[in-house]
Amino acid sequence: MSNKMQAAFMVAPMAIALRAQGVPVKIVYLGHRYGSAVVVQKDGPVKKFTDLRGRVVAVPSRFSDERLILFRAMKINGMNPSEIHLVEMAPPDVAGALAAGAIDAFSMGEPFPSQSEMSGRGRVLFHAREYWPDFMSCVLVVRQDVIDHRPEAVQVLVDGIARSGLWLEEKERRRAHRTQAADFVGRYYYRQDPKLLRWALLKPEDRVKYEPLSPRKADFEIVTKLMRETGVLDREIAFEEYVDIRFAEGAAGQKPWKYEAGWAKAQ
Amino acid sequence: MKAMRKLLAYTFAWIAAITAGHLYLNVNWAVLMNDRLPLSKRKLNVAYIPVT
Repeated sequence: MSNKMQAAFMVAPMAIALRAQGVPVKIVYLGHRYGSAVVVQKDGPVKKFTDLRGRVVAVPSRFSDERLILFRAMKINGMNPSEIHLVEMAPPDVAGALAAGAIDAFSMGEPFPSQSEMSGRGRVLFHAREYWPDFMSCVLVVRQDVIDHRPEAVQVLVDGIARSGLWLEEKERRRAHRTQAADFVGRYYYRQDPKLLRWALLKPEDRVKYEPLSPRKADFEIVTKLMRETGVLDREIAFEEYVDIRFAEGAAGQKPWKYEAGWAKAQ
Repeated sequence: MKAMRKLLAYTFAWIAAITAGHLYLNVNWAVLMNDRLPLSKRKLNVAYIPVT
């Protein structure tokens, strides 16, 4: 809002809530699909979703898709929303809290489910895809003044993300590219152990997907409906009010980057 | 008097060294220069969160 950042990746409900509150931003693309999971103690008492009845489950924020997936799963399993005690917790804290027994489960984006699995203390109860086909979480949000005055720069950004996604999904090179990405991003961007990101990107290889990343009305209608039902969106909001689809349409014909480890730059 | 001038010179040199070190280590010159470019030429700052 202060214009220190002109664009940001954030969880979809947060972006929609900001727009609904009058903040001049639009969603122009997705960051990924899937990549969220509900994790329980490895040898704990929770074996199926309904075992979460009466238990404490951590979510990253009330404006997160990871919270909404729980409501969706509760509805499918015939549970009442009040039957699970949700608490908001900073993502880096959840694996430790689960191991210590402070919470019974958490619903989070990667790499925290992977972190818990790698430690030997957590077990994925379900991945988001099991309850929500084409689940999406992070979206790319851009300030409206940048969209209005510099659409070509936004298009370059979206094209680059589209090409990176296609590069990560290239069939015969997918495993190699994901390994390279985990090593590079872990060391130079996230300061995270590359082993953790390799786990998140490769176990299994479609744990996080990077296509299709075009924002689709039907996907967002599921999000806004759940937001309304769960009290984090106080008015109806049209898809066109919070999404600008033209940059995704402009990126539709993009091809994956040509890049292998050791090359000086991508082509 | 000579000692006073010497002290002042050392003090000035020390302050200059600390200032230079601060400007080198703590100021993001790329961001400052980017902010001075015309709007149409500026790089966009994109925030990301280290979770999916």
